[in-house]
Amino acid sequence: MRRAVLAVVLVLAGSGSGLAQGTDLRMTRVEQWLKAVMDHEPGTTDQAAVQVASWSAQDIRTLWVDANVIALLMRDPRKSGFSVKAEHQSTSQPIRYPTVQLRRIQALACAAAGILTHPACIEIRAAASLDADLLRLSNLAAASRLAGDDNFLLRRGALLHADIAMLMPDSGEPVSMSGLQAGPQRIRIHTADGMALGFVELAPHWEFGRMLLGFVRPPGGSNPAPGSDDMVRLWYRSTAAWMQAREQHDTDHLDHARTIFPNDADILFLSACQHEVYAGSPMQSAMRTMPVPTGMLSDFASDRAELHKAESFFRRAIAANPGMSEAHLRYGRVLFGLERYADAINELHTALASIEDDDQRYYGEVFLGAAEAARRNVEAARQAYGRAAQLRPQAQSPRIALSELARRSGDRGGALRQLQMVFDLPASGTELTDPWWRYYVVQARNADDLLEALRRPFRHEP
Amino acid sequence: MNPWPLRTLCCLCVLDASAQAQAPTFSAKVEAVRVDALVTDRGQPVLGLSVADFEVFDNGVPQQVDLVSYEQIPLNVVLALDMSESVAGDRLRHLRTAGGTLLSALKKEDQAALVTFSHVVTLAAPLTQDVAAVREALGRAVGVGTTALTDGAYAGLIVGESDVGRALLIVFSDGLDTVSWLTPEIVIDTAKRSDVVVYAVAVGSGKPEFLRELTSLTGGRLFEVAKTADLSAIFLEVLQEFRQRYLISYTPSGVAKDGWHRLDVRVKRRGTVKARPGYLAGS
Repeated sequence: MRRAVLAVVLVLAGSGSGLAQGTDLRMTRVEQWLKAVMDHEPGTTDQAAVQVASWSAQDIRTLWVDANVIALLMRDPRKSGFSVKAEHQSTSQPIRYPTVQLRRIQALACAAAGILTHPACIEIRAAASLDADLLRLSNLAAASRLAGDDNFLLRRGALLHADIAMLMPDSGEPVSMSGLQAGPQRIRIHTADGMALGFVELAPHWEFGRMLLGFVRPPGGSNPAPGSDDMVRLWYRSTAAWMQAREQHDTDHLDHARTIFPNDADILFLSACQHEVYAGSPMQSAMRTMPVPTGMLSDFASDRAELHKAESFFRRAIAANPGMSEAHLRYGRVLFGLERYADAINELHTALASIEDDDQRYYGEVFLGAAEAARRNVEAARQAYGRAAQLRPQAQSPRIALSELARRSGDRGGALRQLQMVFDLPASGTELTDPWWRYYVVQARNADDLLEALRRPFRHEP
Repeated sequence: MNPWPLRTLCCLCVLDASAQAQAPTFSAKVEAVRVDALVTDRGQPVLGLSVADFEVFDNGVPQQVDLVSYEQIPLNVVLALDMSESVAGDRLRHLRTAGGTLLSALKKEDQAALVTFSHVVTLAAPLTQDVAAVREALGRAVGVGTTALTDGAYAGLIVGESDVGRALLIVFSDGLDTVSWLTPEIVIDTAKRSDVVVYAVAVGSGKPEFLRELTSLTGGRLFEVAKTADLSAIFLEVLQEFRQRYLISYTPSGVAKDGWHRLDVRVKRRGTVKARPGYLAGS
């Protein structure tokens, strides 16, 4: 079995102030970024992705500020005063550029929006200052706008940064604790085998993608309205699923998604799963070993508090889509964790009535067994565990549960016999023969399909 | 702890010789409780104690101690060893050496077993007097996967109590639980019903709350170590300490049958007694 490596984002308790000193290099980087966004083939680690991934976390934080300004200028090219606010920062940061840099970033925004004929862009002679690649970007953005979508750069930028976060290995950098930088800071905690191994700072690519998509506006609209955009919805669904499938947990991502899509059943479901994972022993064990550095807050709560959050989100997901049987299943398990055994049993029966997938049925039966055992309904528990064992004969968990049920009843021989059946199972080595071992990632098993659906419309023509 | 069927009394009512074939027989199981106790005085084991030296209180009620034995009953030593991915290199080598050292120190009438756990729980060697087979199984074990510590500890308890004899379970883990089906509470509950004494070695910076409670409830001891270089010495210390324990048995009287029984074992002379704090009877 591969070693489980979890990543969690800590939230900076303080807020940054000020901005790194700008240079020509800074505007050059903005240009390189715009070209990379245009050239990137979604779902690949092409040269564009490699280039952007090579920039440091601090470079990306500074670029996040400049890209934020670009997005503001794309909507209002005459704008000259800017303020940006990173996630979790309490106040906006004023951003000021020297005149030369301001002119340059205005011209770049004209290209990014495909509005070189806008009077403000003509005034600053934007077109004349752009090279062939940037003119091509302008043409593509203009064509997209004419086709009804005025979000060319924003969508492709979000895809690029998501791809870098997902596809490009990032070993991270030592955590910068200066707190003097604008832009978001992303801290990752590596854990393995239930132990926290350490912190690193990562480039904030996910924050970058979220920021860009926050500017998406519908056809004909004048204000950002990402909540009415299907691509934005799919971006959040697919990337959140990917994070859970790869155990790269990030509560912020789903918090943000719910702000935009408060009643989306899939996003509510993944939010609930996220907190269910946090309530589980791998994460709780790791967090107990993790010293949180001064100046940071962990958004991680006790197992019971996490279960309560999961319960709330599962309830909302089911309200949004009552036919979501997997939500009923997991809701039942969470209710069991909260010691609401009768409710758990009802919910699990509801789930089992409509689930056809064998792995999902297996989960339903073992959870039902646990809930019945907790209510001292030993025979009902035994039957449920027995059905689970029939569904997955190679799985050890139902046999161990049956052994414990026997031992609890004073039947030492029965306990040993059931355990012997576990010992007699073929050695599975790295093979995950017990679905229980995959429970904390299996909710996101459709992540790759969702990502493919997200990327397909943006692939360059062959 | 489940009362141990120390004695089975069989009443045979003989009417006359000709009626023997039809004679009704009645059997009654008298359930005795076993308690392993270590008696020390200023850190040194106190040896040579007899029934008369002990006082046992079950839920505060004084009990008649039936039997005290010392070094007379063979041991069932179960090693439940974490074989998750982090157990590799020097750590694995130290673990194998320590296991081998312990096995070499067993008496010929003792038995040993090896349970390994990663995400998979395996009986690498069943209880046997053939320590070479256990040593061989230990040599084959390699670290892979994550850690089902509570499932592994549960398996160790069940294997430990699967044969007559005094059961010592030694749990080694360098991680915290990540994939067990059983919760710590359930395994602690099993331990309360069992007379297996659990010693544990926890390596690393984690907080081994489960192992602390498990060892405390069974009258054993937890060793928390940063490195595994001294593992052989720890395993030998565990075995030596266990051998110096008295096995006390009594038949409970004047107390309710089911539920939690608080145990208090004392000696009438100077000394400190370390024993399980109680046992759980009934379902």
